[in-house]
Amino acid sequence: MPIHEKSLIRPENIKTQDKLVLEGIDVSGHWSTFIETRVVSDYNERLQDEIAALPGGEYIHRCWQCGSCTNSCTVNAVNPDFNPRYWIYLIRVGMESELLRDKDIIWQCVSCNKCTYACPRDVFPEGVMKATAHWLELKGHTPKSRSTMFDEEFSEQVIATGKIEEGRIIRGFFARSAQPLRQEWLIEMGKRLARKLPIKLGMLMGIAALIRPRTRGWGRSRDAIASYVGEQEQRQRKALNLPEPGAK
Amino acid sequence: MSKPILIVGGGPSGLAAATALSSVGQKAILVEKEQRLGGAPILSGYAKLVPTGEWAKDAIGGMVSRVETDASIQRYAGRTVAEFTGEPGAFRAKLSDGTTLDVGAAILCTGFTHFDSVNKPEWGFGTYPDVVTTTQVEQMISSGKGVRCPSDGRKPERVAILLCVGSRDRQIGREWCSKICCTVSCNIAMEIREELPDCHVYIYYMDIRTFGLYETNYYWKSQEEFKVKYIKARIAEVTSNGQKLIVKGEDTLVKRPITIPFDMVVHAIGMDPNVDNRSLASVFGVALQPQGFIGKANAYATFGETSRPGIFVAGAATGPETIDDSIAQGKAAAIAAYAVVNGARVAARAA
Repeated sequence: MPIHEKSLIRPENIKTQDKLVLEGIDVSGHWSTFIETRVVSDYNERLQDEIAALPGGEYIHRCWQCGSCTNSCTVNAVNPDFNPRYWIYLIRVGMESELLRDKDIIWQCVSCNKCTYACPRDVFPEGVMKATAHWLELKGHTPKSRSTMFDEEFSEQVIATGKIEEGRIIRGFFARSAQPLRQEWLIEMGKRLARKLPIKLGMLMGIAALIRPRTRGWGRSRDAIASYVGEQEQRQRKALNLPEPGAK
Repeated sequence: MSKPILIVGGGPSGLAAATALSSVGQKAILVEKEQRLGGAPILSGYAKLVPTGEWAKDAIGGMVSRVETDASIQRYAGRTVAEFTGEPGAFRAKLSDGTTLDVGAAILCTGFTHFDSVNKPEWGFGTYPDVVTTTQVEQMISSGKGVRCPSDGRKPERVAILLCVGSRDRQIGREWCSKICCTVSCNIAMEIREELPDCHVYIYYMDIRTFGLYETNYYWKSQEEFKVKYIKARIAEVTSNGQKLIVKGEDTLVKRPITIPFDMVVHAIGMDPNVDNRSLASVFGVALQPQGFIGKANAYATFGETSRPGIFVAGAATGPETIDDSIAQGKAAAIAAYAVVNGARVAARAA
């Protein structure tokens, strides 16, 4: 029988042979099309613990699937495939392969936190979305997002110097994300900025770009923050069964 | 001196009724068909009880010893009531051993019968040794041996609890909710996780009915503190691949078929009407409800009346009931029966 609603079936589950003879009967063409049943055949019991080990995912085990998060969701209103309730369920039960099918939409959460206030069980779904996107990156299922690259550049600079220097952050972020510095909009912005910028501020920015100032007496704070961040990173990687940072 | 009150059944409601009558100076006669008093919690070896977490052998065992040391309660264990004739205030009971008793009223505390899982063959009980019932798990815990797979004694790493086995199932003529199995299953799941922290427990449900305050103390607690997982699916069948039990069903929240391997499958068995209810109904001349439990004549005015004046009913004989409510009902029925046998005195005092 021809499959009338092929669009509803994931392409990898449609099995077709151009030539097929079964018990002497030629069933080539659409007669040889089969749909492979998608059966969940096991649970990954580590999945919930892994998400719970990342910031924001701590309360995922409270969820009882009422759907308040999805019903209140800003993104769901635009994209019905964006369904936090469903992903929370997949994670809780350990249906990893089903979760990975949606890896390219999970990051779309805009952190409006409407779900956070709607949730009757304090699951903190917005945090779970953040943790899940983070998990997907750490596990290598999705490439590192630009926002993660920006966060890394930003926090590394703050930890190193105790200061934020915009020009350096922009340069570092563009380098990390492999974007050329010579972009039309950026050049235009530089020009307009230069035209309106007070001379003193322009000089300060220039000096800061050259000598990279630090907050006075920053060393101890830097060491404390760096060691805390390192500990957290180590704890998370251990929970996710990933090699130590830096190890190959 | 008023005539004694006959109590049929020595489970929680019967024990409570007997003690209540004794405490107001009323003589009571307790007839129990088994050799031991205590009813299901004792005879079936329940472990920790909802809602206090006390062991059944302590909590219900304490009720048994209070009755056994009470001189105003006459006990006939290992016997049943064969005939019951007369009028309120002047009944005569003949026991299975021929003893004749003159009593003023009777309270039926005849309880329930555990559902026999063999009646749901598709769920593997009786076919695979590692498919067990909640009662068996209670016994594993209360015996101190711990939760182990009966086939080879290993510690299970993954346990499925199937809810509504013998409840809410028109296929097998059991349309009622057995009321306690959700809460009992949450309790058992937590006890398994406590004993075997590496064992994952999944509860397959249609609805979760941990009514009232059990919501916090069992349903929420089992998820929040014990990480018990709840999956909305009614299981189609339990089979085996030779090594593990295979649980098949549809996960209705993801609309996907599932075939998941498990070490142990637990049936959360429901409460059937006592298998003796038909003969009890004919001996005592009381009407049964359509589901087979003993009928109540009146829900509000006098608690625990049956269709026959002077005969009262309490506990799980009337329908699925919790232990604490059975105890309360036993006491309520005791008051009602007391009023019957002391009717004249009660009326005189009121005048």
